[in-house]
Amino acid sequence: MAAETVASPPVPPPKQPLYEASTQFRNWRYSPEQLSAIRASLNAAAVAVIRQTFEVEEPGSSSIVSFLTPDEELLLVKLYVTKITQLCGLFRFPEEVEATAITYLKRFYLRNTVMDWHPKNVMLTALFLATKTTNNPISLETYTTHIPKTAPSDVLDLEFLVAQSLGFEFAVWHAHRALWGLCLDIQNLPDCPSDTRELYDAALKHIRTSRLTDAELIYTPAQIALAALSLAAPELAHQWSISKMPPDAPHTSRLSAETLPSIMDAIKSLITSSGHPPNIDSVREVDRRLKLCKNPEKVVGSQAYLAKKAEQEKKAEEKRNKKAVAVEQAIADGDPFGNELAERRPGLVDYDDDDDD
Amino acid sequence: MDAVEKANAERQKRWVKDQKVGEGTYAVVYRGREAATGRKVAIKKIKVGQFKDGLDMSAIREVKYLRELHHQNVIELLDVFSSKTNLNLVLEFLDSDLEMIIKDRSLVFLPADIKSWMAMTFRGLEFCHRNWILHRDLKPNNLLVASDGQLKIADFGLARDFADPGYKMTCQVITRWYRPPELLFGSRYYSSAVDIWSVGTIFAELMLRIPYLPGESDMDQLKTIFRALGTPTEEEWPGHTKLPDYVPMGLFPKTPLRDLFTAASADTLNLLSKCLIYEPRKRITAREALHHSYFTALPYPSHPSKLPKCTTQLAAHALEEVDGNVTMDSTGPGVKAKNGRLKRKLSSPSDDSKTRSIARRLDFTKHTPHS
Ligand SMILES: Nc1ncnc2c1ncn2[C@@H]1O[C@H](COP(=O)(O)OP(=O)(O)OP(=O)(O)O)[C@@H](O)[C@H]1O
Repeated sequence: MAAETVASPPVPPPKQPLYEASTQFRNWRYSPEQLSAIRASLNAAAVAVIRQTFEVEEPGSSSIVSFLTPDEELLLVKLYVTKITQLCGLFRFPEEVEATAITYLKRFYLRNTVMDWHPKNVMLTALFLATKTTNNPISLETYTTHIPKTAPSDVLDLEFLVAQSLGFEFAVWHAHRALWGLCLDIQNLPDCPSDTRELYDAALKHIRTSRLTDAELIYTPAQIALAALSLAAPELAHQWSISKMPPDAPHTSRLSAETLPSIMDAIKSLITSSGHPPNIDSVREVDRRLKLCKNPEKVVGSQAYLAKKAEQEKKAEEKRNKKAVAVEQAIADGDPFGNELAERRPGLVDYDDDDDD
Repeated sequence: MDAVEKANAERQKRWVKDQKVGEGTYAVVYRGREAATGRKVAIKKIKVGQFKDGLDMSAIREVKYLRELHHQNVIELLDVFSSKTNLNLVLEFLDSDLEMIIKDRSLVFLPADIKSWMAMTFRGLEFCHRNWILHRDLKPNNLLVASDGQLKIADFGLARDFADPGYKMTCQVITRWYRPPELLFGSRYYSSAVDIWSVGTIFAELMLRIPYLPGESDMDQLKTIFRALGTPTEEEWPGHTKLPDYVPMGLFPKTPLRDLFTAASADTLNLLSKCLIYEPRKRITAREALHHSYFTALPYPSHPSKLPKCTTQLAAHALEEVDGNVTMDSTGPGVKAKNGRLKRKLSSPSDDSKTRSIARRLDFTKHTPHS
């Protein structure tokens, strides 16, 4: 009977690449075309909804609004990526926090648009969340008192939305970690300088630059790390790739020798072409227009916001009433916890659920 | 509705919440099921609004790690969704835990059973460590057992990554009786070896059926350890006297494990002693443990389905079955939920369940020809 166990001693299964089992690998990698398509469709959907809201408030009013384009949205997000870096410097947060917060911000805007949620508070929330998910927590009070014009509620109100937009997938694999491993590894190469710290620092600069781009949404951390090393020390990076992938190796490996050079070129040109902070004047212009075209339903206190809240409240009330009636009915039937009832209407025995908390 | 809200609503619809089965420090746990398949699940509802710092660290750690870990011996997180200000974790439903099983005096453990639980624990732990995750709260109560006998490591509320060597970490982790000496001495730079110590003490507890090193305070914990295993020498554990909270504890002699674990095989004691080596760097790793001769020697580990099962859990089921027809006390709805599994740690086997377990025991002997 116990034969199966006997035949299989408790040895772990063969090592599967850990990164490939991660949520990042499975859920957060895109082609450049997919990224554009996602952003375009989020943008179009938001514009349609907001236009509609404007029309309800005042027919004809939406025609004069100049909505943001997907590229303009992206520009604004990019600005707030740079703000994360500034804040992390102020708080002296570790690199891990900074990189994670930036990833969260980018991922958030693959599920939402800046016309619904302004990146300022989303950025603050993403950073606060990242301090916790990387195990570097600070109190919300300390956090907000050090940031001008920021109240705890600016962060807390959005925390759930941000976590939800991330699909509660908090673990992030970073290129700077991969670079660390890579730098240990190149020390085995014959031409490697005895001290790789300078090399590491130079490559790390390129990785930091890459955070201003879409690289992490397209390429693996290992690929980005190698590209960064290649920008800092092309010859060593080349030697390392050859040592890992001899030209005669079976091309089953993902980082196959044939595709690697083109991937490296793509990442390097991405870093050099888009790895700079956005032009302040153009962002300011975008932000000014955003004030006029953001979704009024998301502006706390606005007419549309209040209307939406009231509608939600009405729905919840109806649900509660329906439930109360059902429970009363059940009690009248003399069998409030009846099996029969429980089977037929599972929701009814759930009097302890969270509708009212 | 936003796309994000819509996706959440869809997720929520996949799961039906039934009755409350338990309560932890920061969550209420419900039994539930998958609407489409009827698969039984546990829904852990964490209230978020109540924390002034937002999402609580335990919840964040639990979600972060369980989202990434998929292994037969690690509890599976099936889904996460929100309802109002609550975070809901949908977990596989697990009937009992190793603490209940150990405490159930009506159960007899064979060496092959203990070997099976240890194998499953090390497999799950090896997987965590391979993913650079420290559990930091291993104890019998956090090793849950499924109805098919599979053991699952649960409760990742204290877990963290350890990819960064030389990274300072808190020593205030792991329930005292399962906490290794380096943490008791205040070490801030530790490794996966902390979890191995915990597994060692659980291993001993499975044989003794009572906690092996039940210290009464943190200070007493060290004394309890040294009384059992002898005071470490500088040679055995270089540098331990330099640890932040080091205090001399007096000299206790080493007594052979054999004196306490009289019935254990040589392999058993060898693996146990390697889990309880003072010097963390010399302690066995989960991977090495899986290759230890203990696991390949006779008797072979029991098949999970043949492991002793908890009788209190059967009793709890019986309770659930009558739930619908019996009005509990007369205090109204809230009471019902509190009766079932909520008190499972306290409940003792009923007479009825005792007869069942005897039947099981006979059954068990029948299926274990090696012993
Ligand atoms: N996966 C599960 N399947 C079935 N029941 C569960 C499951 N997880 C938890 N429970 C039940 O819910 C109770 C509370 O669980 P929870 O994990 O929140 O807290 P705990 O580990 O008991 O305590 P603490 O929160 O203090 O660590 C448990 O004691 C158990 O009865």
